[in-house]
Amino acid sequence: CTDKFEEMNISPNNPVEVSSAVLLPNGIESSVDRYWGHNARYERLNLDGGMLWMQYLSRNIYSNEGDNYSVNPSFHNNNWKGFYNDAALNFQRIVVQSGPGGRNPNTNYEGIGLVMRSWVFSLLTDLYGAIPYSEALQGTAESPVYTPKYDSQEQVYAGLLEDLRLANEKLVVGGPKVSGDVMFYGDILRWKKFANSLRLKLANRQAAKKPAESRAVMAEILGDPATYPVFTNNEDYAVLEHTSALPSNNEWHQVMIQGSRTDWNMSSTLVDQLQALGDTRLTVFAQPNKAGEYAGHANGLPDAIATTYLSSSSVLGTAFLQPSTPSVIMSYAELLFVLTEAALDGDISGDAQAYYEQAIAASFGQYGLEVPAGYLGAAGPATKESIMTQKWIALFGQGVEAWTEYRRTGFPVLPPHDSRAVFMNDGELPSRLQYPSSEYSLNQAQLDAGIALNGGPDNMKTKMWWVE
Amino acid sequence: KVSSEEDGLPLPGVSVALKGTTIGTVTGMEGDFSLPVSGENNTLIFSFIGMLQQEVPVGGRTEITIVMAPDSKQLSEVVVTAFGIEREKKALGYTVQEVSGEELAEVKTSNVVNSLSGRVAGVQISSNGGPGSGSNIVIRGSSSVSGNNQPLVVVDGVPIQQSSTNKYGGGISEINPEDIASMSVLKGANAAALYGARAANGVILVTTKNGSGTKGIGLAISSSATFERPLVKPDFQNTYGGGHGYRTWYSNGRSATITDPLEIAQYQDAYGPNAPLTGTAGTDESWGAPLDGRLVRQWWTGADVAPLVPQSDNWDEFWETGQTYVNSIALTGGNDKGGFRLSVGRLDQKGIMYNNDFKRNNISLNTSYNLTQKLKAVVSGEYIESGSDNRGFQSGQQFIWSHRHVSWDQLKNWRDYAAVHIQREGDDLPPNWQHTFFTNPFYEQEFLTDANDKDRIRGSVALNYAFNDKLSLLLRSGTDLWSDTRINVSRFERISNGNFRAGQYSEEVLRNQETNHDLILTYAGTLSPDISVTAQGGGAFRSNYYKRNYAQVEQLVIDGLYSLNNNASPNINASAIEEKQVQSLFGSAQFGFREYLFLDVTGRNDWSSTLPANNNSFFYPSVSLSAVLTEMLHLNSSTLPFAKVRGSWAQVGNDADPYQLAQIFNARSPWNASVPSFAENTTIANATLKPETTTGTEIGADLRFLDGRIGLDATYYEQVTKDQILGVEISKASGYHQRILNAGKVSNKGVELMLFGSPVDMPNGFKWDVTLNFARNRNLVEELAEGLTTYTLYTRQGVSSEARVGQPYGTFYGNAFKRSPDGQVIYENGLPKIAEGQAVLGNIQPDWLGGVSNAFTFKGITLSALVDVKKGGDIYDEGTGTARWTGQYAETAVGREEGVIGKGVRNIGSAEAPVYVPNDVIADGKAFYGYNNPRTYHESAIFDASYVKLREVSISYSIPASLVSRIRAQSASISLVGRNLAILFKNTPHIDPEIDAYGGNAQGFTYGQLPNSRSIGAGLNVAF
Repeated sequence: CTDKFEEMNISPNNPVEVSSAVLLPNGIESSVDRYWGHNARYERLNLDGGMLWMQYLSRNIYSNEGDNYSVNPSFHNNNWKGFYNDAALNFQRIVVQSGPGGRNPNTNYEGIGLVMRSWVFSLLTDLYGAIPYSEALQGTAESPVYTPKYDSQEQVYAGLLEDLRLANEKLVVGGPKVSGDVMFYGDILRWKKFANSLRLKLANRQAAKKPAESRAVMAEILGDPATYPVFTNNEDYAVLEHTSALPSNNEWHQVMIQGSRTDWNMSSTLVDQLQALGDTRLTVFAQPNKAGEYAGHANGLPDAIATTYLSSSSVLGTAFLQPSTPSVIMSYAELLFVLTEAALDGDISGDAQAYYEQAIAASFGQYGLEVPAGYLGAAGPATKESIMTQKWIALFGQGVEAWTEYRRTGFPVLPPHDSRAVFMNDGELPSRLQYPSSEYSLNQAQLDAGIALNGGPDNMKTKMWWVE
Repeated sequence: KVSSEEDGLPLPGVSVALKGTTIGTVTGMEGDFSLPVSGENNTLIFSFIGMLQQEVPVGGRTEITIVMAPDSKQLSEVVVTAFGIEREKKALGYTVQEVSGEELAEVKTSNVVNSLSGRVAGVQISSNGGPGSGSNIVIRGSSSVSGNNQPLVVVDGVPIQQSSTNKYGGGISEINPEDIASMSVLKGANAAALYGARAANGVILVTTKNGSGTKGIGLAISSSATFERPLVKPDFQNTYGGGHGYRTWYSNGRSATITDPLEIAQYQDAYGPNAPLTGTAGTDESWGAPLDGRLVRQWWTGADVAPLVPQSDNWDEFWETGQTYVNSIALTGGNDKGGFRLSVGRLDQKGIMYNNDFKRNNISLNTSYNLTQKLKAVVSGEYIESGSDNRGFQSGQQFIWSHRHVSWDQLKNWRDYAAVHIQREGDDLPPNWQHTFFTNPFYEQEFLTDANDKDRIRGSVALNYAFNDKLSLLLRSGTDLWSDTRINVSRFERISNGNFRAGQYSEEVLRNQETNHDLILTYAGTLSPDISVTAQGGGAFRSNYYKRNYAQVEQLVIDGLYSLNNNASPNINASAIEEKQVQSLFGSAQFGFREYLFLDVTGRNDWSSTLPANNNSFFYPSVSLSAVLTEMLHLNSSTLPFAKVRGSWAQVGNDADPYQLAQIFNARSPWNASVPSFAENTTIANATLKPETTTGTEIGADLRFLDGRIGLDATYYEQVTKDQILGVEISKASGYHQRILNAGKVSNKGVELMLFGSPVDMPNGFKWDVTLNFARNRNLVEELAEGLTTYTLYTRQGVSSEARVGQPYGTFYGNAFKRSPDGQVIYENGLPKIAEGQAVLGNIQPDWLGGVSNAFTFKGITLSALVDVKKGGDIYDEGTGTARWTGQYAETAVGREEGVIGKGVRNIGSAEAPVYVPNDVIADGKAFYGYNNPRTYHESAIFDASYVKLREVSISYSIPASLVSRIRAQSASISLVGRNLAILFKNTPHIDPEIDAYGGNAQGFTYGQLPNSRSIGAGLNVAF
């Protein structure tokens, strides 16, 4: 009389199998929201990490929530957990079930899964250093791994470059249909362009460490645009277009409008720089203050001082506070800056100055602006510093990416700390995030080996592998 | 006619049964009875608690006169055990403790289980005290690391669902206390092997009153009214107002710059020309101006100023006087064929929080009828309708983030100030003392309501057929079905900070049913003249069904209209169904040898739907032995008239929750409200789960001294739970958060003592009875999963309550202050230093629990008092730490202007070779008290939660029969009762240490929860 037991114990509430079409939206939304947001206090990777550290924004209260380089444990813990458990796991499931021998083979889903999984892994390694990669996401595999080993950044980059090459191969325009693609609406060509552009970016990032390999990747892509298409205009960029239906709205809108938080103003570093250049992008990035002027204040100010700027510092531009404000993953300008730098370094042929001017124009164009007359003169010719400074301006909003590029190149040159500011981490801008405490309690042996791979202790000062 | 040997008076209520049948009756007020007896070879059994049982052959007589002799050794003390079987206590090899209905009825509480506190050794009960709330019950310590440690509750042989949520109560808290005849607590696995898996945490058996024991028609009326106020008032400071920087100024509800010329003039009159021109209402702390009558703007003054004066009574203004009215009428009737009891109960409760109430109606019917000489039917049922306009209450956090100078009477009358109240442009909020973080609590209580409507039916039908005087069969079906509709308003329409937010609410409909069927064959006979045997065998079938429908309107179109169609954006929906079945076969046998040696053996096999097919069957046995040494060894002394030793061993298996075997995917909010979205569940399911096992061993002794006037009952027990089904955390890089595993071993070892006696028993009728009970439990986490040493039970603000291998369950880990080798806090620049890493800060487990109850009886007057003791066990009181940090409590008024010297040492040597001298550096008061911030300085919020409480005092008076008879009543009594009257001892400042803010595994955490109340009331009982 226990015949019905097995049937009874099958959950009527949750499916045991789902299509890749329904896994894709959640994977994309959770990873992009975390990258651009996040909305939960103490784990806002971009708003309280990249955007403050790169001095786009500054805090007018609670400067100890990132602005003064003090970082809450949840920041380290939950960004790790979120990228692995909410995002990468679902991309992994897509890759497995749509791959060869999977439940529902479909090379286009497999390719999309590979691209997005690679992008998430690239964020993770750029945030933490050595990470579980080759053995990661295997908790329910045939031979499950519960304590995955760490791979060095070098190994992770090599793997990602190969995964992205494979992704471009799997993605076939006119191949099997995909749905649930909230990023590119099933346009496989755009996925191919993103895969190859991202691959170029990663190759360039490691170019100083592995010149031959990086040049080969760049040559492979740029030498055969038919096989390896890349972004060719601003409409091509990798972006998640948010909507006004909650919770599909932009994370900054969620925090600042829905959540009514007013803790951020423009950083004086960005405002001063843009004003010096006569850069019209300032009118998009920021709103003028009550006096009709653009003003910012310094980062890392103690609350008692910071709060006095509440009424005088500019706040974020309205274009960035809409529910539908896009979260940019990789822009056309960013690709052009990658090419500019590669040309300057001699990794590819081509005129660095020409790429540089195109890149600046693309960034203005992204906001519907024309490059003002005389701007290029003010910006200076294409040197490493001017390229990276312009790239920093172009990366406004992509705080984590800008932080990574700053850590790699040391540009832009940030002004000295305000004398009234009080910084933690011995005043050093964080070089990385610390490993989450959960790894210490649940994966200690592998973690210890991983820390050794980084060549420095697990703190916010140890340098990344790709630092030039 | 039956009378007592002692005084020759008639004995009512004696049970008279015809041997070998279910036919029986009870004697009436005059000790009279009648019973149709056919044939001449029939024997009547007369039994009455405390009297020796007699078997009397009828032998053709039509009138029988019996004189019952008292059982001086109290051997025949009867308790209710598994399956509702009444057994003599001497025959039991395990611990059962019973509380009678009279004891429970004397001091009425709306949740009857709270009355067990202090009365039953080893039972720990904590409640949060809101109207209609439930309680957390733990018997003999926590054995399950992850799961439910609540005991099983069985009413009249049928389990009822015991809800684990505090706020909505459920289960035993919904029963009408007037209906309860007795409660038996079967502790540990031993007593409960026959109830199956869920009894591993012990069983509370509730027996309701039925018609037996009355003759003819009886009517009982009882009524009580109880009033409640918070028991403990925090010790506030009334020297400084709200705000910061010694300034208190309401400008516009936020920390705004003052620009208006009139306001600047007023402000500079109060604070001089150099003070920063900002309001202070945005700071929800009390570091403001001295309450010296200076003229300042306040939230209710508009553009005027008013003197800044202390509001020492604002705590008392905030709380209402709680009111509880319990009314009950019961009609009973009985004759030789059967009996019935019909009762109606009504509970009306108003909380100590404004607009927080609860009501409950109970209707119950208990009937039994002898259909034939051999067949008896028992039908019982109860319908419970309960609900509330608002179950929600503001927590005591209102006085943690607060302005001390605010009058709460004024806040409550916010409508009076709406016209003058100033707020920032872009705000359209109900008037309040600030707008940055808080909304007027009275407004929230009025408009953000959590209403519910619950219907519950529980009942059973049983047929008992006696084949002959040895063999009988019981067939029983019982069900407990409830449905609850909850409507929670979570937001009202408002404009805050220039942003429009629409109203928001949710609806939840829950339906829950548990049905049990069982069939029990009982044989009672003798194997030889010396050996008696009672054997039972049977089967049981249990099914559980749970359904939840939930919908939330994210944005209401018309505020205040709570309909799912009144939505401006798509609703958030959720639903779930859970089903489970358990089938069981069981058997038990009790052997008695010459009435002094008793052996019980039980065995049960369960088949559960929630375990894998190849592992879903599990067997668990028990054995117990009881020996009455005084009879065995023919010891006949008045010094030690009775001595019994007992021992037992038992196992209980346990299954899993449904649906843990297969990997699943969870629905997410659709993208753009249109593209479906799912995510893989980050818990790795386990297709190879096996049942958990709890093994318990206990030994005990039951002794009576001095003609039975003093008794001692002592028990030692050990209980080990292993193969616990746990969600074990794993490296997130595996892609997953946790795995479901059989892991872990937790042991509980303990001692329970009960000493009782009548030190004074005078011929004039004055009697003093006293009972002492004591329980000490030692809990240890022996193993967790392989490679795992820590299992986190609950975390808040970085403090975690953990089960670590080698430590007791519920050890607090967090940041500690750095201490010198002799244990003193080390200061640097006058401020305490924090030790590196995490340290053990305490443990939630108490050292011991105890209670003393006294009863004095004299000529119809009974005075009783219960003192309840908990020694040890720590709590993390985030409220006290925070309120010190925010400057609310009296101690923070000390040294605000002149500075504070912390008690401890400072290092005048080097880091390598420290030399400690007493700290003599003055620190700024606000900075110093900031080291109570419980979010960072965890140790500062850990307190010892020991207490000695005067739990209950009651005086009751039985009105003499001569007076009562004038209103044709049989009996009447009035009583005056007080509960939670006083804390005689505690170590926690500011709060009652008896807390349970979050329930379940989150024991030991509190953050300004609803304070416990002292209640005082009066009751009247009349029986006709």
